[in-house]
Amino acid sequence: MKGIKLRIRSMESTKQITKAMEMVAASKLRRAQEKVSRSRPYFETLFDTVCRIAESSQGFTSPYLENRDVKKTCYVVIAGDRGLAGGYNHNVLKLAEAEMAGKNAAVVPVGKRSLENFRAHGFEILTDAYYEAGDLSVSDCFTLARELCSRFLSGEFDRVDIVYTNFVSILTQQPSVITALPLHGAAGGEKTRSETIYEPDSEELFGRIVPEYLGGLIYGALCESVASEQGARRTAMDSATKNAEEMISDLSLKYNRARQGAITQEITEIVAGSTVEK
Amino acid sequence: MATFDLQIVTPDGLMFSGQAESLVVRTVEGDVCILPRHMDFLTALGMGEAKLVSQGQTRRAACIGGMMSVKDNTVKLVPTTFEWADEIDADRASRAKAEAEEKLSHREKLTDHELAIAEAKLKRALVRTSVAGRR
Repeated sequence: MKGIKLRIRSMESTKQITKAMEMVAASKLRRAQEKVSRSRPYFETLFDTVCRIAESSQGFTSPYLENRDVKKTCYVVIAGDRGLAGGYNHNVLKLAEAEMAGKNAAVVPVGKRSLENFRAHGFEILTDAYYEAGDLSVSDCFTLARELCSRFLSGEFDRVDIVYTNFVSILTQQPSVITALPLHGAAGGEKTRSETIYEPDSEELFGRIVPEYLGGLIYGALCESVASEQGARRTAMDSATKNAEEMISDLSLKYNRARQGAITQEITEIVAGSTVEK
Repeated sequence: MATFDLQIVTPDGLMFSGQAESLVVRTVEGDVCILPRHMDFLTALGMGEAKLVSQGQTRRAACIGGMMSVKDNTVKLVPTTFEWADEIDADRASRAKAEAEEKLSHREKLTDHELAIAEAKLKRALVRTSVAGRR
């Protein structure tokens, strides 16, 4: 009986923790969601515009547009800083590893979990300066983007992929991969002869725009990931709280039965004792 | 008066969406003015003031980095930073300016990277103070 009581008590404190974590995640989620909805138009406009340029790129070449033989791929993998978020970290890291399997890959981990995972598995890590996903600002994304661009141009790697978690809704998060570099036009887009003026000349323009584009892309992916993390954590903690409640009610039932049984036994003993005395 | 579609989007959200009569922005090559029925155009933005005329009203803003594209009479301005003149925190900008100047005053101690950051900060602060100051 004492054992059951102890278990109930420990369950209750666990429940309090999971409940608190759920509330924290819910409030963070609201903020992250706002950030996603604010950054989405930027993300989309940027993507559309660059795709359009890449599509109509006739009459000039840019190292960013060339499809080189992919000898080495750089992966920017965005995961969370903390655990206890259901399958969030696991899913995105699993996808990243599946993508990397059998390829010559280097990783830029974003988020503590991502860094720890790739370090433990012995992947080549380009930089570990961006390990706190929650604290990354816009300017950090741009710094990272500029570095990636210059390394891309120097031929250190021939492709840049971003692995992140797409925030579909509060309940669904979808890990996904996008190819950031080289640029590619939307599928099926025929190369139309465009009359667009580029200023300064197209090559220099690309040199300036592409790092911005990559930075925006990384920032957008980061916003999505952070919102996904909070969403996943909220769902996980919600179900943990529910489980705890269920277990508590189960245990209370057992406890009450045991208590009832003990009382009944005691009464029977007393009654039996008194009949013997008579 | 003829107008064109204008969208201004930044990482912080949609800043403007609607019809505009003219738009002046500072590109890497200097100021350009976009009027309705401009031909297709694409450029990278520099650091400076943007001036937007919409429904007869002129609004000014600090506009830094990013790009602008014109396609079929639709202008998409995608800057890294875009702040309307009346939303700029002038105190913060002048503080940032003082800090950056302080840092640059002993530039021999700085690494190239730190120097670049301080210079960029100073430039941004200067754009902000000048836009906010001329209100």
